[in-house]
Amino acid sequence: MTCEPSRTNRSSRLLIALLGVGTMLLLAICVLSGPSGFGLPAVDTPMGRAILSLRLNRVATGLVVGAALSCAGVIFQALLRNPLAEPYVLGVSSGAGLGAACIILAGLGTAITFFLLPVTAFVGAMLALLIVLAVAGGTRASVYSLILSGVIVSSIASSILMFLVATASHEGLHSVIWWMLGNLQPTSQGQMVMTAVVVVGGIAAAWFIAPQLDALTLGREVAHHVGVRTELMTAIGLLLGSLLAAAAVSLAGLIGFVGLIVPHVMRSLLGPGHRRLIPATALAGGVFLALCDALARSVLAPREIPVGVLTALCGGPFFLTILKLRGKKGWVE
Amino acid sequence: MSIPALSFNKVTGGYRHVPVFKELSFSVDPGTLCGVIGPNGCGKTTLIRAATGLLPRINGHVSLFGKPVSSLKATDRAKCVGVVPQELSTPMAFTVEALVAMGRTHAREHRHALSSEDRRIIEQAMVYTDVMEMRSRPFSELSGGEKQRAVIAMVLAQQPRMILMDEATSHLDINHALEVMQIVERLNHEADVTILTVSHDLNIAAEFCERLLLLDQGQLVADGTPAEVLTEARLRQVYHCDVRVQPNPVSGSVMVTPSPRLASGHSGKGLRIHCVAGGGSGEEILRRLHLCDYTVTCGVLNHGDSDSQTASALGMTGTFEQPFSAVSAQKFVEAETQVRQAHAIVICPTPFGPGNAVNLDLAARALDQDTPVFLATGISERDYTPDRRATQTAAQLVERGAREWQTVADLFTLLATIDASAEPTSEREPNDDA
Repeated sequence: MTCEPSRTNRSSRLLIALLGVGTMLLLAICVLSGPSGFGLPAVDTPMGRAILSLRLNRVATGLVVGAALSCAGVIFQALLRNPLAEPYVLGVSSGAGLGAACIILAGLGTAITFFLLPVTAFVGAMLALLIVLAVAGGTRASVYSLILSGVIVSSIASSILMFLVATASHEGLHSVIWWMLGNLQPTSQGQMVMTAVVVVGGIAAAWFIAPQLDALTLGREVAHHVGVRTELMTAIGLLLGSLLAAAAVSLAGLIGFVGLIVPHVMRSLLGPGHRRLIPATALAGGVFLALCDALARSVLAPREIPVGVLTALCGGPFFLTILKLRGKKGWVE
Repeated sequence: MSIPALSFNKVTGGYRHVPVFKELSFSVDPGTLCGVIGPNGCGKTTLIRAATGLLPRINGHVSLFGKPVSSLKATDRAKCVGVVPQELSTPMAFTVEALVAMGRTHAREHRHALSSEDRRIIEQAMVYTDVMEMRSRPFSELSGGEKQRAVIAMVLAQQPRMILMDEATSHLDINHALEVMQIVERLNHEADVTILTVSHDLNIAAEFCERLLLLDQGQLVADGTPAEVLTEARLRQVYHCDVRVQPNPVSGSVMVTPSPRLASGHSGKGLRIHCVAGGGSGEEILRRLHLCDYTVTCGVLNHGDSDSQTASALGMTGTFEQPFSAVSAQKFVEAETQVRQAHAIVICPTPFGPGNAVNLDLAARALDQDTPVFLATGISERDYTPDRRATQTAAQLVERGAREWQTVADLFTLLATIDASAEPTSEREPNDDA
């Protein structure tokens, strides 16, 4: 035997350690920054405690949403064998948007809307997914018909959404648009914790089918031949990806870029094997979003920039550099 | 008799509305190296898909080592049979080692990480196919031959009892194709792995396989040793082309070589042929006659018919009737003039109906003046005249000396017998070829 496996093991252990320390550091920075200034709020005053809890909540939300979106991106890119696949590719975003808009524009009163919004967004997202799957022809459907049905269902849902927005009253309009921009202020802590549980469970389940995802990137026929139950695994993967995306959307609205780019960057750094890629991408996506949000809160304080604006603005150049340097290590076609 | 590695029992299957094979039955004994050959679209690849349970609509029984393939769990099936595809591609930059490790997927359904046993199997597979030194290179950067070796290593890591090769060497040059086949042959001899290889390359199949199955249109038309299966007559019938089969003195098997092209060495310079065609039945013949420098006339054809288009495209003269019209007396006389000038009449495998059956009478006129007539066989199946007139006329033609032919090659053998100078016809004019 050669020393190759142990060397890769050592380097990956080092990387994991580095990631762990880096994560802690970055998260600490996130907690320390905010519109009230950089530094730990005075925890001996009730005001300080409130600020701290608010910040902790937001950082946690950023972690959960970022992890969910980038993990969903990894799954969709593997199953659809398409570098442009992202969490919203199967109509999840438009479905969730439509669901949310419906409940906002229904004008049921703030309290009920507040409570129902994430639920309807989630239901809308999963409905859109089911329609896409039905239109494409189930899990036997080709990648091509899945993507095409996703685009069509998305467009229809968007059109309805646009129609609703165009005919809506002014105050409703504002909330819908603000929701669509994405916002990491959780509506309630309970909702955040619930979503976190769903997301962690989803990521763990995705990690569990990592060898099967590896094989599925060779195409369904080859995966079948090496012993993967392709239909079942495709179904599980698509459901998990959409579940993660829907959970993220229902918590924080539409946040782009993270789910598309973070998987690519992590793949170019770590290689395409999903056993390492899934946890690493989830972590990186979470930290990245939390960082962007910290920036969004503090740059123009006390005003807040929508975090979706910052993800692409700050992340874009950084990730472009990484992809330019190491792009060949990830995606080759 | 041991339990066959693969058996098909009256299998009918294929794709939506199109059965690729009908009631196909055969079995492959464990430990054999068996080849499946046949023309494009004969069902070779579909056969592999059926053998691994990828074909959704299927009647009959396909079993692997005695167990119906449909009842096998995916992981158990992968332990029975591995497939080397024609070409494998992944959009992601997996290293060769990672790719080979995918062969262990069936062992990782419940236990996630690769065990030391898995690693040993993976290394062994890489050593066997000689891809050890490229283990850390991205699979996508390998050359075609290296890729195929890496894929075989992946299939080996699966440790299947049988390997199906789906045109696995057809993208490789001869050197790499042989290399791949030698690996497979060694596996068969040393590890007793059953091999079923689907191939287009008759010589590679003849060289390496102890048994060949010849498929044509979803039916098994021959089954036996290469020498038994690869006969000139059978290959002509299945592949519709002429080949020469010779014993290979080195290997003791047989070699198949394409017969010299009909065009080469066969010159029809100075000879005038009149063709009776229609409905596309003459396209190939007109083209070949043209290639061999014959002077060709044809008719009576209808304008717009694909044969008349071919004739015009090749610059041939002919007699043309209005589209979808029966041959008129005037056009018949015109064609008769052409027939009188011809050294031979060729009747293509054309369908005959009330409108064009009269063209056969042209051939009768030719026989009157001892001009040879070469008639495609099987006219009764193409006879759409209500009174079976075409069949009767054809029978009379044969009685009076018209010679029948089946393939284009037969026709050209007949054409080679025409002797321009020996023809006693006063009316024939000198040829006008440039």
